[in-house]
This record gives sequence, structure tokens and C-alpha cells, in this order.
Amino acid sequence: MLLYEFEGKILFKNCGINVPESQFITAHEELDSSPSTALRVRMTDGVVLKAQTLSGKRAQSGGIIKVDSQQAVSTSLKELFGKTINGEKVEKVLVEEIVEYEKEYYLSFSYDTSTRGPIMTFGEGGTGVEEKRAQSYPVDILKGFETPQDFPKELVDVANKLWQVFTKYDCELAEINPLVIGKASTSLSQYSLSESSSRSDAKVYALDAKVILDDDADFRREVKFPERNLFGRPPTEAEIEARKIDEGDHRGTAGSVYWDLDGDIAVIAAGGGGSIVNMDALLAYGGRPANYTEHSGNPPREKLKKLTKIVLSKPGLKGCWFVGGTANFTDIYETLMGFVEGLREIKPKPIYPIVIRRGGPRDKEAFEMLKEVGKKEGFDFHIYGRETPMTSTAKIMVDLAYGK
Amino acid sequence: MAILITQQTKVLVQGITGKEGSKVALQMKNYGTRVLAGVTPGKGGQEVHGVPVYNTIAEALENHPGINTSFVAVPNFAAFGAIEEAIKAKIPLINVLTEHIPIQDTAKAIALAKQTVRIVGPSSIGIISPGIGKVGSIGGDDPRGVFSKGSVGVISKSGGMASEVSWILTKNGIGQSTVVGIGGDILVGSTFADLMEEFEKDPQTEAVVLFGEIGGTYEEEAAELIKSGGFTKPVVAFISGLFAETLPQGTKLGHAGAIIYGEKGSYKSKIKAFEEAGVKIAKTPDEIPGLLNNQVSK
Repeated sequence: MLLYEFEGKILFKNCGINVPESQFITAHEELDSSPSTALRVRMTDGVVLKAQTLSGKRAQSGGIIKVDSQQAVSTSLKELFGKTINGEKVEKVLVEEIVEYEKEYYLSFSYDTSTRGPIMTFGEGGTGVEEKRAQSYPVDILKGFETPQDFPKELVDVANKLWQVFTKYDCELAEINPLVIGKASTSLSQYSLSESSSRSDAKVYALDAKVILDDDADFRREVKFPERNLFGRPPTEAEIEARKIDEGDHRGTAGSVYWDLDGDIAVIAAGGGGSIVNMDALLAYGGRPANYTEHSGNPPREKLKKLTKIVLSKPGLKGCWFVGGTANFTDIYETLMGFVEGLREIKPKPIYPIVIRRGGPRDKEAFEMLKEVGKKEGFDFHIYGRETPMTSTAKIMVDLAYGK
Repeated sequence: MAILITQQTKVLVQGITGKEGSKVALQMKNYGTRVLAGVTPGKGGQEVHGVPVYNTIAEALENHPGINTSFVAVPNFAAFGAIEEAIKAKIPLINVLTEHIPIQDTAKAIALAKQTVRIVGPSSIGIISPGIGKVGSIGGDDPRGVFSKGSVGVISKSGGMASEVSWILTKNGIGQSTVVGIGGDILVGSTFADLMEEFEKDPQTEAVVLFGEIGGTYEEEAAELIKSGGFTKPVVAFISGLFAETLPQGTKLGHAGAIIYGEKGSYKSKIKAFEEAGVKIAKTPDEIPGLLNNQVSK
């Protein structure tokens, strides 16, 4: 899960990394002169207002504003809260003191598939870091991080602390860009940042924070952050409902991954690999998916029933595609029975074409059942088994749905 | 001869008293794989499908010194401990079914295993050498209909697609030497290139099919191996994930490893690498047999 800057900085502070003095403001708050709601960040060199959005291109989109008076703070806050940055409405702003510095660096820890372990990346910082010079160093995860020989002495401490953030909080990425060495005049000596903040590197600041948490380690991370949607919009009702299906029930998965999309063909796809193969095919044939979802690991009938009800309750659907490869161990009869049970509860009754392609254990029984249900209850089923290429049913779906 | 799973394979099941462990133990036995023992701490002395259960790997090895393969089916929070135990016991092949293992734990396991034992997984559907045996849930209860013995090696990030691709081959009269699900995580114990080196040495294997996905660098490394002459047999590859590239970067779907930031790991980068290495690219899985034709004996 990608964290907001202010959340990443909480983890940084916990491990003793210096960040600028700051104040966090949400859209419904208003700054005025009363002590509880006044601006507390000192104005000596002005302050910077930073929209808290997940998109990386805040500066280019006008999400970062520097101001030098109290009055300008209020005006600029209003401006920011009215903004939408890369589809995400600005609802939180971080007000930070301005730190004067001479040079900026890039520093991060992440996992690398070529070394199959953690790496530290270090180089010149600032925007467009991809094009600038940065070098990666493999880290021996069994020994822990050791600074490379040519590494700047004044940054050794912050690098060790960032490694601590990376491992303690189970991150996929812990990135500081820019990392700066502040000028003497902006030393924070008179302000206490946090109890744990070390004074030894008081001049080194993380001006920004990009942290991606490893969701698979949620079970052991002490700090919890609220769920978010990477599309930069709040999750839809269907997305919230779909994700509840797997809660407290570890028998297979259905709905944990569910995204609403803009199209009109409902998709219930099987398998983390096969689902993507099929979505590729659907797009290639001009299909417009109404959603993306996958189920796998032999989920019970009830899960498929719930998922089907969510997927098919969208208005304006022109077709439904239930698709998967030849399963290893998922009980096809059970999953398709769950699909039928969900389908029966959709009002008004779906009259659009429903294309089903599946293979695996008990698939023959499942197809017998489908044929019967289709005939008796009047559903427009088009049933294909393992002998029909999976991706070719994408074309069948598109042709039927759009009347080609 | 096949790779990884041979006539000599003797399996230990870690987590044999759990739902997945016991189910897969039975499947493996039914397919003719020798399952000698199981391990679940605290449950030593029990039996699961006639397989004796021990508290530790050390005890299991004492009673069954022939064990050379471990199948790991324990919950994610216990996975690192289980894999570490198998590595320290020097079991040469460890197949990890467990999904959602924290990446930090996987990285540690891979570092520990380095050059001493082979890990296949995590999130691996398993390994099957048709007609010889299988480890893991690949092929389910009855792999016979889908997999057939032959000359093509299959390596797949996706478990479902490992079976689908094998079925497409079987349907077209092309059998498989060994089919390996390497898992779709960001970090995996065995990559395409690692296993291609095994297939290169295997006389039964005449060609290899790779099922890749966007994200990471394993496909690019496979292309490098071919270009450097480390793999000389014909290769057909399929790459999935174009759809994912239409969504905002960093969106999670499908496999954990199928995630791209910037240009690295993109569909284009992988296709380009494979084309430069002379690998034939299948646009749909059903094109694979046609691209293999005349290069393998049926």
C-alpha cells in the first residue's frame, strides 16, 4: 500500500529521521487566530503547503505552494482544497517550514528482482530523478545494511535509519527524495521535533517521503493506516463490498481484488495469471470491461454468489463473461453453482448474453447444470469448456454484447 | 529424464496436518509420488493418509534419510521458519505453495538457500514431470487428462496458466518433460533462467515454453541467458499484462510481481528482449503449439 507523504514521515520520525517542522490540515478545518486552530509552523523563511495526494507529480500539477505570510497561507489553502490532482481531490494538506539547503540527494531502499534481495539506491535528488545519476548497491539481508565505501559520511546515519524504517515496517519501498543537508541558519535547535529524533544529524532532512508497505506483512506491522484506492478516488461501494467477501474466511479468494471500471461487460475471471491474460484479450477485441475481479484457490459457493451479485448489480451491462483456464484444484461445479445462485437474485433478470468458459475438476457436471438452468430459467448462456481456447471466448463475448 | 522431479524423488510435506498439506499429500500419492513423511510441530506421532507425521524435520530425516524434496504448505506467518528449517536440513529441493509471504521473509529465505538448495516458489502451484510424479497441487486430483509425457519444458509464473498451457500442448499432441510453476511473487526462489539451465542439461527436453508477465526482470534475464549461449534449445514465450498497463501505475491485481514502476518490467521491454534473443512470441496461448511445431518430436 502506497502511503501519503505525511504518513511516511510518521514512520521516518519513529526511526529518528529528521523531517521539517509541520502541521497537518484537513479540508474541513479552517485556520484562524484561536490557539487550537492557528498556524503553528514558524514563518521565518516562509512555509510550503503540500497537497497530500498519492500521485507522484504534485509539483508539476500545482499541488505544492510556497508562501511567506499568514494571509497567503489561508488563500493558498483554499486554492489547494479546491483542486483535483491526477483525479484525486485534495483533502489533506501538510504545511511545512521551508528548509534552506544547497544540495539534494535521492536515497531509497527497495527490492530488486535481479539481485533477488534489497538494494539501496543513492544519487542526485530532485524531480526527474530517473534521468539523473543514481547508483544501486545490493544489501545482504542476512547481515543488514552496511554503507558502501564511497558513501558521504554525513548521510551514513540517515541511511541506517532509513534501512530501519524499511525492515521494521516491512516496506517494499522506502524513499527520500529529496534528502538535503540544511544550511546552518535553518537548524532546528530551538524546536523539538519528536522525542526519538536524534540530534547528531540534525542538519539532514527528509523533505519528502514515499513509502510502499508490503500488504503481505500487515499481520505483524504495529502501525496501521487506513485503506486507500490507488486510482486516486475513494473506493466505490462495490469495491468495499467485494473486499469484505474474503474477510474472516480463508477458503480461497474472491473479491479481494475488485476494481470498478467504466465499461459495460461484467467480468468474473479466475486465477491471478489467467485473469490478466483474459483481460488482455478482451481489450484486444474491443471489449469494454465494467470491472476487474479475480477469484482463485477453490473459493466456496457462497463467495462466488456474493461476488456475482456485486459484479452484476451494475446498471447498463451488455454482457457477462465468466472466464477461466483449466483449473488445478478449484471445484468448477461449486464456483459455477455460486455464480448461478448470485445470478438468480439480480433484478431485473439479466437478459444480456452470458459467456462462460471454464475447465477443471467437475466441469462436466457444472456444464450439465448450466444447460439445464439456462433452458428452464431463460438465461442466455453460451457455454464453452476446455476444448475452446480461453481467449477466443473474448471475441465471442464482444460480438454478442455489441451485436456484431 | 525430466528435471527436478524424477524417479528418485522422495517427498516430505511441511504442514501435512493442515487442509492444503493433507489434500496435496494425497494427490501426490495418487499420482505415484513417494511421500515419505510429514512435519507439523506438536502433531508428531499422527498419520495423514498413511504418511507418518513428525514434530521436526530432523526427526523425519532420522527415520526417512531418503527424503530429498520438501513441499511447504504452512500459513504465511510460519513460512519463513518452515523454509529455514528445510534449508538448514539441506533438503536439496524446497517447493513452497504458501502465498502472501512477506517479501522480507522471502528475501531472507532466498539468501539462506543460495548455492546450497533450490527453492521453487513461493506461491508455486508445484512441479510435475508427467508420468513420473508431482510435487504441489499442480494438476489437482487428476493431472492425467491435462499433462502428458513428452519433450517440452514449461515454466510459468501463473499456476492456472501452467495447466492451461500444458493442456493446449497435450491437445495438440505435444507432451511435456517437466512443468514448473515458479510463482508470481516479486521475488522467487527459482527464475526462468535458473530452470532453463536445468532444461538445457536434460536430454528429454527439446524446447521450452515460458509463461511470463509484466513486472520484474526475470523474462529479460531469460533473454540474456539465451543471447549469451547459456540456453540453446528453441523457446516460445507468452507475456501477459497489457491490460494492467492501461491502469494507473502501482495498481495491484493479479500476481504481486505483476506490478511496474516506470519503464522497467513493461510489456514492451520484455517483448523486445525476447525478440532480440530470437524467442518466438505467442500472442495468445493457443498459438504456442503452432510456434513449436517441427521443432519438437511428438
